Amino acid sequence: MRQIVSFGGGGFSMESGNPLLDEFVLDLTGEPRPKVCFLPSASGDADHYLVRFYRHFPASRCEPSHVSLFRRERAPVEPREHLLSQDLIYVGGGSVTSLLGVWRAHGIDRILRECWEAGAVLCGLSAGSLCWFAEGISTFHGPAERIEGLGFLPWTNTVHYSSEPDRRAALFDGLRAGMSPAYAADDGAALHFVGDDVAQVVASRPSARAYRVELRHGHVVTTQLATRYLGDEACVPLVRRPEPAEPPEPVLVSA
Amino acid sequence: MSEPEPAGSQVPLRSRTILALGGHEFTRKRGNEAIRDYMLALADAVEPRVCLLPTASGDPAEQIAAFRSSLGRSPCRLSHVSLFRLETESVDLERHLLAQDLIYVGGGSMLNLLAIWRAHGIDRVLRRCWERGIVLAGQSAGAMCWFEGGVTRSAGPARVVEGLGFVPGILSVHYHRDDDRRRALIARAAEGGQRGYGIDDGAGILIQGADAVAAVRAPDGAGSWIVAADGAGGAAETELDSIPLPSPRLAIDELPDEVLELRELRRVAARRGAWSRR
Repeated sequence: MRQIVSFGGGGFSMESGNPLLDEFVLDLTGEPRPKVCFLPSASGDADHYLVRFYRHFPASRCEPSHVSLFRRERAPVEPREHLLSQDLIYVGGGSVTSLLGVWRAHGIDRILRECWEAGAVLCGLSAGSLCWFAEGISTFHGPAERIEGLGFLPWTNTVHYSSEPDRRAALFDGLRAGMSPAYAADDGAALHFVGDDVAQVVASRPSARAYRVELRHGHVVTTQLATRYLGDEACVPLVRRPEPAEPPEPVLVSA
Repeated sequence: MSEPEPAGSQVPLRSRTILALGGHEFTRKRGNEAIRDYMLALADAVEPRVCLLPTASGDPAEQIAAFRSSLGRSPCRLSHVSLFRLETESVDLERHLLAQDLIYVGGGSMLNLLAIWRAHGIDRVLRRCWERGIVLAGQSAGAMCWFEGGVTRSAGPARVVEGLGFVPGILSVHYHRDDDRRRALIARAAEGGQRGYGIDDGAGILIQGADAVAAVRAPDGAGSWIVAADGAGGAAETELDSIPLPSPRLAIDELPDEVLELRELRRVAARRGAWSRR
């Protein structure tokens, strides 16, 4: 099952006291202690960001690791082998243009497609959310501009949707100029894609929403998507975390 | 983005200047300061505009702070361009870079540096800067990027990666500190066809147009070498005659006797706890 969770914004990078989105992606792996690899490339592998990742993804909950593409001389491990062994690949925020440039230089774009096809959950926020789509709206270097992503998902993506009105205007212009139909998410909302399509929308804040935005008969039409607030105890996750396994029966090993 | 360059704004090839440094940091170390002062003098302006590109390390705040603190007391106008951090005000990168007298590129991953520049179109802008005579300087990855190729560890083992190609030849930095880089350069040069340069930490080569016109050496730096095929299947290293750069501060053995005496008095007093440290 190919899965991507695209945050409009949120997770440990933006909501340090609110673990709901991060817990959601950990649960999606279906593993009691998933292997999680953080890719901070969009921030230039900022030290403080790595520290925050390890603080929020402790070894008691998962097997955390990261891949630095700026200090490869210090890491003899091949990124491909490591990434292919992960349950969850978590991409941090920053500049999406720099992110994609660095990934392509190291062949990470091709490796991530392999990971996705092999069943690892891919997720991220901001630049780490835009990167998976065919196109996106980035405001990183000033005015909102169209950017091309990896194209795993055939849509346009717009993050921080309700908090940055410039992006909405740029998206509408882009759609009229021929961009593919878009998904947009607020800070605190996340789109869960299975294959190419949205399976569900979840949120770490009660009011956060996600939208489908597309051109119909020359008009931009926005559809607000049904969103499940993760903080509501009455809501049952679609993918449950497995119960702790019974201790295995002792087995005789025949030689 | 790039309009055709008006012919009048380009300088002749021999006036296009690049300073390639084998290893340099913006610290108070005397050798680093000697190189800094030499570099500023190259800019040939009363109050040069100096811009740092720390891209190769992912724009770390420490590198930007060190640059600002080292150059902060010199008469120059400082800036940096970050391609990773959100800046408070958006800058027209092309206009900003073209307005500089000196552009300094920091070290890090050469592979990432070039990939990020290409993604943002900075490679084309830097070519225009060079053609206009803006001095381009840099250390490590920031030095190799100007050449046809550089010996980098960006993907682990030392290997040659393609650069911007402003300067013919292959550069290897930290030359005698990292034997793998030296071996990779010698192997490449032995194939023939391309000239190799090896530069130690604390040393540099001044390039005008396509040629190395001078080699410089900080007080604690070693030297620079040209590596070329020897015609017998190997490569020969020829050391360049390096100009020693003047020390920016008085060396300890050059201090006047009075100063040394006062320091000794302070040391003795500090041991007794008699003087408060000021």
